[in-house]
Amino acid sequence: MSTTAELPALDALGPTGAYHTHERQTITDVAGNPLAELSLVPKLYVTRAMAALHKAETLGVDERLAALARAGEAHATGTVDGVPAAQHQFIVSRASGMPISVVRSAGEAIARSAAEVYRSVQYARPVGAVNHWRDPLTRTGRAVWTRRGDVFAVHAPGNHPGVHGLWLEALALGYRVAVRPSRRDPFTPHRLISALRAAGFGDDQVVLLPCGYDAADEILRGADLAMAYGGEDVMRKFAGYSTMLPQGPGRSKILLTADVDWREHLDVIAASISHEGGRACVNTTAVFVQGDTAPVARAIAERLAAIPSLPPEDEHAVLPVLPLADAQTVERHLLARAAGAVPWLGGDGVVDDLGDGSAVLRPAVHELDRPDAEQAGVELAFPCVWVAPWTPEAALEPLKDTLVLTAITHDTHLVDRLVAEPTIANVYVGDHPTYWIEPGIPHDGYLADFLMRTKAVIRD
Amino acid sequence: MDWHFSPTTGSPYWLERATSLEFDPRVDVKSFEDLTLFPNVTNELRDVRAQDLIPQGYGPHPEVIGVFESGGTTGAPKRIVMLRDWWDSELARQVAHLEAQGLPRNRNWLALLPSGPHMAGALLRSQAAAMGGVPFTIDMDPRWVKKVIAAGNADEANAYAEHLIDQAAFVLQTQDIGVLWTTPPLLERLARRDDLVELVREKVQLIGWAGAHMDVDTRQLYRTEIFPGLTIVGSYGSTMVLGGAPERLGLTDEDPCIFDPPSPYITFSVVEPDTGRTVPNGERGQVVMNHVSKSFLLPNNLERDMATRMSPLEGQVGDSVADVTPVQQFDNETVIEGVY
Repeated sequence: MSTTAELPALDALGPTGAYHTHERQTITDVAGNPLAELSLVPKLYVTRAMAALHKAETLGVDERLAALARAGEAHATGTVDGVPAAQHQFIVSRASGMPISVVRSAGEAIARSAAEVYRSVQYARPVGAVNHWRDPLTRTGRAVWTRRGDVFAVHAPGNHPGVHGLWLEALALGYRVAVRPSRRDPFTPHRLISALRAAGFGDDQVVLLPCGYDAADEILRGADLAMAYGGEDVMRKFAGYSTMLPQGPGRSKILLTADVDWREHLDVIAASISHEGGRACVNTTAVFVQGDTAPVARAIAERLAAIPSLPPEDEHAVLPVLPLADAQTVERHLLARAAGAVPWLGGDGVVDDLGDGSAVLRPAVHELDRPDAEQAGVELAFPCVWVAPWTPEAALEPLKDTLVLTAITHDTHLVDRLVAEPTIANVYVGDHPTYWIEPGIPHDGYLADFLMRTKAVIRD
Repeated sequence: MDWHFSPTTGSPYWLERATSLEFDPRVDVKSFEDLTLFPNVTNELRDVRAQDLIPQGYGPHPEVIGVFESGGTTGAPKRIVMLRDWWDSELARQVAHLEAQGLPRNRNWLALLPSGPHMAGALLRSQAAAMGGVPFTIDMDPRWVKKVIAAGNADEANAYAEHLIDQAAFVLQTQDIGVLWTTPPLLERLARRDDLVELVREKVQLIGWAGAHMDVDTRQLYRTEIFPGLTIVGSYGSTMVLGGAPERLGLTDEDPCIFDPPSPYITFSVVEPDTGRTVPNGERGQVVMNHVSKSFLLPNNLERDMATRMSPLEGQVGDSVADVTPVQQFDNETVIEGVY
């Protein structure tokens, strides 16, 4: 086809430079218009790229931190490979359907993560450990904080461009890094890695390996340590591998106890559901209410109903957009899972056809009648919330398996138990949205907990 | 058709099978296109008595080279009988093709190919001998690998594959190997080991691959980066057609990998999977294979491969094929829950 021949090429970024393959995938926008041709590398290329990463040098710590900061800035606001930031953000927004304002903020967040990455990772260092064996403290015996390996791999998701801020920590710690991009958004890691290379990282120190499933497993095989995003299936596949860090469902939640007036927190509740296009693992999936659930559900529904349906590149867009058929699939799934729940918003469907082949996913609010209703764990990638009753008798059970729990409560004994609960990763107490995230604050534990270890050193 | 369906020369299998055909092969099948009249009987080769596949025209004592079986990817294996006359002619064709590709005689061969009841290993032994070389082989049971993979035991499959490479390493380290035949997955494993890559570069002049799929990018990596200067050629065939189609001579790194079957005995067509209609040249479709020779008849066998339909060589019946890949497993997009 003559039109695809003129599409911008999104090459793999291999250990000896850009790699243009015969096997390519056309990346389209949410309306089905082609945007770029992504090179898909074969397994053999992955094998060799991973071997090259193992053989590569690591930049000195000063150099790599400076390069990270420059790259983050260039990614967010500069021109990379001839593409200005605004154009990149437009493309990511059109490709992934993420509101453009979220894409822009994600770029800024990546820049901030890059600039502050040393401080961030240092928070994860045990207080007894020093950074280098030459530290004078090792003369009398000390822990030294060291890497668990040299090569780190990421199977990146495409739900939110901000996820690419995290693996920068591995680069800061001296890992060489391989990223397999998602086909929904290969643009963000491509730009970020191009910027890292322009800023001083070698081609054999950070690579982008777009590929199919078979070669994707080879990326993991070739790495010392790896992180993969996915659902329950990914969690199951990698459970029990000490070298794998699976990033599973978020199922973030808000708890409203009877001793607070939830009306005062409606802004935080609504934003926790709809911020980030409702696509992040830190978006609220369920709101648990001690007391009457119906008024809460009604109030949330009223707030979310007012959000307009707009194409993703519109400055005022808030809601995510998908190809129409994909949106309809999500809708069918929602309606099937919502059987038995009381619909307050989206009960007749959530698809708003934009007429160009794409569709907005409008918010959904459903009320459940039991704390242990299983729908409360149904996490969908748009503003979709389940409002369920909670009682002190139900205790922690319905609040388990949660990435972020915002507990709006004055019950400090309850907070004690929430913080102690191993399956709740983060606890925010009071008027803090579930999507709050800061460099230096763990997202699901510190990544450096996984990347680093301590080692005893004593010397003469 | 006369030979295969005449009561005096036809095989017991086809004579019996003809009674339930809705046409008379001896009357209705006059051309290559007419082969599509036949139903796809390939699955029946799982159960049929091997002797019943031999045309009676060969007399009471046909010279049987062996009974060969399919890989067994999908259930019980399918079985064919290899007779001396076809074997010799297939061998002669393949040897001639290899010589045309510049392969010198009197080199030792190493076949990292399925052993046991599989045709590939046996064919390679004979080819090596026909070219004045000594064949070295390894033990390889592809069905066991498939079984452990199906059972979700990736670690064991991996260990078995490494065991195969270990066997090859002993031969490569100690013997003068000039020709290496293997499958693309095993070649990838071999290429992971720097010491073996070095040995192959030192000793081997030609690498042949068969039995699986190699994409253009991978082929190019072998030819330009990993084994530069070596001749690397593919062969696309199937036990069910008693042979294969060699890679076309003179292809460059940029060309698609084109295979030309030895028509009229082995012929291909490329069809739309749903309708069975031949796709236009240059388009992709599913591969249909036919074998029509004195020793065997298996028409209209829909293979589990997709390929690009290519113009045949002059005088060739049917299609040539390029860029063969497995029939795609379409993901039913049921993954919805979760944000990733």
